[in-house]
Amino acid sequence: MNSILSALALPMHLPQAAGPMEQFEIHRLAPLSLGNIDVSFTNSSLWMMIATGAAVIFFSSATRARALIPGRMQSIAEVLYNFVADMVRGAIGPEGMKFFPYVFTLFIYILLANLLGLLPSIPGVSHTFTTTSHIAVTFGLAMLTIAIVIFYGFYKNGLGFLKLFVPSGVPPWLLPLIVLIEFVSFLSRPLSLAIRLFANMLAGHIILKVFAGFIISLLGAGGVVSAIAIFPFLGTVAITLLELLVAFLQAYVFAILTCIYLNDAVNVGHH
Amino acid sequence: MTETADMQEPPAKKTGKGHDSSDLEQFSARLDAVRGARAGKEDTGGVRDKAVGAGFRLASELLAAVIVGLALGLGIDAVADSAPFGLLIGLFIGFATGLRNVAVAMKTGNAADNEGESAQTDQS
Repeated sequence: MNSILSALALPMHLPQAAGPMEQFEIHRLAPLSLGNIDVSFTNSSLWMMIATGAAVIFFSSATRARALIPGRMQSIAEVLYNFVADMVRGAIGPEGMKFFPYVFTLFIYILLANLLGLLPSIPGVSHTFTTTSHIAVTFGLAMLTIAIVIFYGFYKNGLGFLKLFVPSGVPPWLLPLIVLIEFVSFLSRPLSLAIRLFANMLAGHIILKVFAGFIISLLGAGGVVSAIAIFPFLGTVAITLLELLVAFLQAYVFAILTCIYLNDAVNVGHH
Repeated sequence: MTETADMQEPPAKKTGKGHDSSDLEQFSARLDAVRGARAGKEDTGGVRDKAVGAGFRLASELLAAVIVGLALGLGIDAVADSAPFGLLIGLFIGFATGLRNVAVAMKTGNAADNEGESAQTDQS
């Protein structure tokens, strides 16, 4: 096996050595600690900063011209703005535009984190890391959304916000059970948001890695079997395209569900 | 759908301009043909992707509710020292909530799809 691979001039430290889960490992780049808490700067932190930095650089350069007739960059920025603005207005109504900055930031950050995670790693130069493939990150984002819903809901509606747990038109004898179920359902929202994004990203990257691994294994087998390697190669190309779609779709789903949950806080009992 | 409808309107307005309008009509006919063919392809792909997305959404709704129910049950067990009963009732409530979440998610998902379709037919 080794001799065939070296004959093919394939470096051995490529996918052969790396298992499908290795891409999700977190490495400390700069160890830091705050008391007993480990706050090291990790590869995850690095890629979060890259995503944030890319968003800031893109939008500041796209909006610098402020042209009446937008150029290419400005057009992309305007399309993104309109896309999210329509989503917020559609789900919450005009009143919801006060949440636009939050939803827009969330959408762009998740979209960029997902897309940046799809960049191939270059051995020795960069090691791509998908921050949204970790439930700690997605659960943090989800909890932020739910915290805003709870605080704004009580701030705007007072205790009337609790009507959220009492759907109208339920027979009184069923009410205790329904309220309990609605309460558990509310608690499950951040978890379901977090699980959906994290599971999509994790599954997609594992499938990509496994398919790419098949190529190496089949090439390594040599002879006629090597010719079959074209199929996992085509599969990898197809899955990469699918993952581009998933990267966008999951950012969209996270943002639209954030809007739907914010709508509960803004318009209690109006739906 | 709406885009093709928009494309057909301009030639009708410019009927005074002889061959220009026929060129435009030809072009719009070709454009419609290409768009129609492409729209068909996108639709079949869209249905499959939508199904995968919906599957993930429903699965996460159900899973999250069961986990929350389980955690609440275990929490009550730990506080009230009611060993297996909190867990059992919590799991049951969690599962019921999961089914309720899935039902709501499917209803809202279908409603959104129907709204999109009716909006498209209204404009055409």
